[in-house]
Amino acid sequence: MDAFYGYMLYGISLATMGGIYAVLTLGLNVQWGFTGLFNAGIAGFFGIGAYTTAILTTAPTHRHLGGYEMPYVVGFLAAMLLCGIIAYLVGKVCLRLRSDYLAIATIGIAEIFRLILKNETWATNGPRGVSEIPKPFEHWPEPWNQFAFLALVLVIVAIVYVLVEVARKSPWGRVMTAIRENEPSAKAAGKNVEVFRMEGFVIGCMIMALAGALMAHYLKFVDPNATDPLLATFLVWVMLIVGGSANNKGAILGAFLMWVVWSATEIVTSRLPDELAIRAAYIRIFLIGLMLQIFLQKFPQGILPEKRPTVPKSNRNSETV
Amino acid sequence: MKILKKLAITASAIAMMSVGAQAAGEIKVGSAGGVTGPIAELVAAIVKGRQVAVDHVNSSGGLLGGDTMKLVIADSACDPKAAVDAGNKLVNVEQVVAIIGPSCSGATNGMVSSVTIPAGVTVLSDSATAPSISELKDNDTVFRASASDAYQGKAIADLVWKAGIKKVAVTYSNDDYNAGIANVFTTEYKALGGEITGNQAHEPNKASYRSELSTLNQGGPEALALFAYYGSSGITIIKNSLENGLFGKFYAADGMFDNSVIGQIGADNLKGNLWITQAASDTEDASYKAFAEAYKAAGGDPEAPYAAHGYDVAFLMALAIEKAGSADRSKISAALRAVAGPEGEVVRPGEWEKAKKLIAEGKDVNYEGAAGINDFDKNGDVTGLFSVNIVGDDGTWSRSMLK
Repeated sequence: MDAFYGYMLYGISLATMGGIYAVLTLGLNVQWGFTGLFNAGIAGFFGIGAYTTAILTTAPTHRHLGGYEMPYVVGFLAAMLLCGIIAYLVGKVCLRLRSDYLAIATIGIAEIFRLILKNETWATNGPRGVSEIPKPFEHWPEPWNQFAFLALVLVIVAIVYVLVEVARKSPWGRVMTAIRENEPSAKAAGKNVEVFRMEGFVIGCMIMALAGALMAHYLKFVDPNATDPLLATFLVWVMLIVGGSANNKGAILGAFLMWVVWSATEIVTSRLPDELAIRAAYIRIFLIGLMLQIFLQKFPQGILPEKRPTVPKSNRNSETV
Repeated sequence: MKILKKLAITASAIAMMSVGAQAAGEIKVGSAGGVTGPIAELVAAIVKGRQVAVDHVNSSGGLLGGDTMKLVIADSACDPKAAVDAGNKLVNVEQVVAIIGPSCSGATNGMVSSVTIPAGVTVLSDSATAPSISELKDNDTVFRASASDAYQGKAIADLVWKAGIKKVAVTYSNDDYNAGIANVFTTEYKALGGEITGNQAHEPNKASYRSELSTLNQGGPEALALFAYYGSSGITIIKNSLENGLFGKFYAADGMFDNSVIGQIGADNLKGNLWITQAASDTEDASYKAFAEAYKAAGGDPEAPYAAHGYDVAFLMALAIEKAGSADRSKISAALRAVAGPEGEVVRPGEWEKAKKLIAEGKDVNYEGAAGINDFDKNGDVTGLFSVNIVGDDGTWSRSMLK
């Protein structure tokens, strides 16, 4: 196989994973960037999305609940819907907590989800996971199936981006910013803060579920490791912080950038002798933490800092009156 | 800026090293494994086993016309996401001929379904044991040198039943490996006529398991079937059981096999009370002895779990490349079947020159591995050998093979 072709295929896989992470990071951006909700349980919602579509779209099997062979669209929508409902219930309990306490509560929630996915063997096949999940376009010839899946991911990134960007610029987005910056004053302005916070949380979680569903189809396999916080919670946080919290372009940029850093560093480290290559694997984890530190210390706003939307003229007049 | 400059210099130095490493006459084989993640300590020994085999090949003639075999390490982290990424790099960037590993079943499942089966790259895992791997539609490209859990679970069930024990309680660490064995064990043991008085999963790395154990102790079990890794929960469970007089007899699978079990609990407490089955390795077998000697010489403990399997997969892959006659991905699968046996002259670990000569003469080769006979069935699985370990009179492990 010719080297260029190989690099191209690897590039496709990098972009596909980057795209899935971009969706995930956009979901977190709605919660943290817009509304200031500290969700440290991303992996839990991601996992629910992945499992929902996996169970709905696989062929019949004796190993776990499922075998409904539903179309992909149903899988994606059901993942988002179920996650939205669960997020609503979680929000009812947790959202009154202030940000740092919310973080602790969501870590706990994600852990509960992980244990449920691991222990409810009848539904999820427990720690063995769900295998042979169908992947869109997989019957197309190489490399077109990979291109087509990448295109699907990028289209979804674009759609989610446009939607959250419209939301950010709308009055809804401004209320979110107001809540994030100063909750009492938003309340004083007559906004129902609890409802807005809930909306931000539920929408963010639904986007995360969509990312989970994409990941399940891409990997063709999902097990409780999907809810492992290193790659599904902390990496996403680093992506958002590095890219630029509250900036949707920044979220996407951070996702692609950090995934490339995470994945491509191994191409270098695998050339080292065995003993060193094994140690270098840990350095990759260290590198992610280091980048987070550098960005938090030196560029707390990220690569693309937040830009407040300009207020339309008609509103400005009415506000100044 | 100074730091940036230094970084740039380091990066270019590494890049130059990598150019140097790609010397002519090198055949790359991917070596995927969970070098970080939950079983990192096991994987270090497995990776060493693979490397010892490659050193044997390279020091006695190399592959084909004198090419060196080079393992390219990729971290599958025991996680499907990481494994798919690792597989993509090996297949597309490193352009390896074939892949040995990854370690965990989940990682293997993800990597083969998403990357290697579509790309037509042969994968030979040394420690993935999930039964679901047998059933993948893989165009005969997925093999493994370790027995599916179905076999070890059955071996323990037979062992317990033959010891005259009619009632057992079962607890397992809730990970894919231990849960799988526990599941097969309960099915097989019930089929033999035994009674499972309690069956409970436990989370690893807890400080105490007293409450789980006292629940399990109800219903009069005669022994505890314990499926766990020694470091994360197994030792604690045995300690808690003995301290509180809850269980006296323990049957365990190979995740529990380690010298620290004796070291931390005490040989006197375990003598006649603990049986650990282990995939593999008839230590009286000539193949195992050849491997153990080489592995010790390389500074490792040959009894480390799956180290022998690691050696076998790397050696088998070398044989397959030799048999295929070129570093052509599409020929590896058929060649692997051809060199694994059962027909042909027996080749043992370290006998690379002999094997090379036989293949050159066009004769059939049958590799008998350190970890057992590697004859693949139609799913690319092996049945595997099992031994049972007990604490002997001298306070160390004493092993005998299960028939």
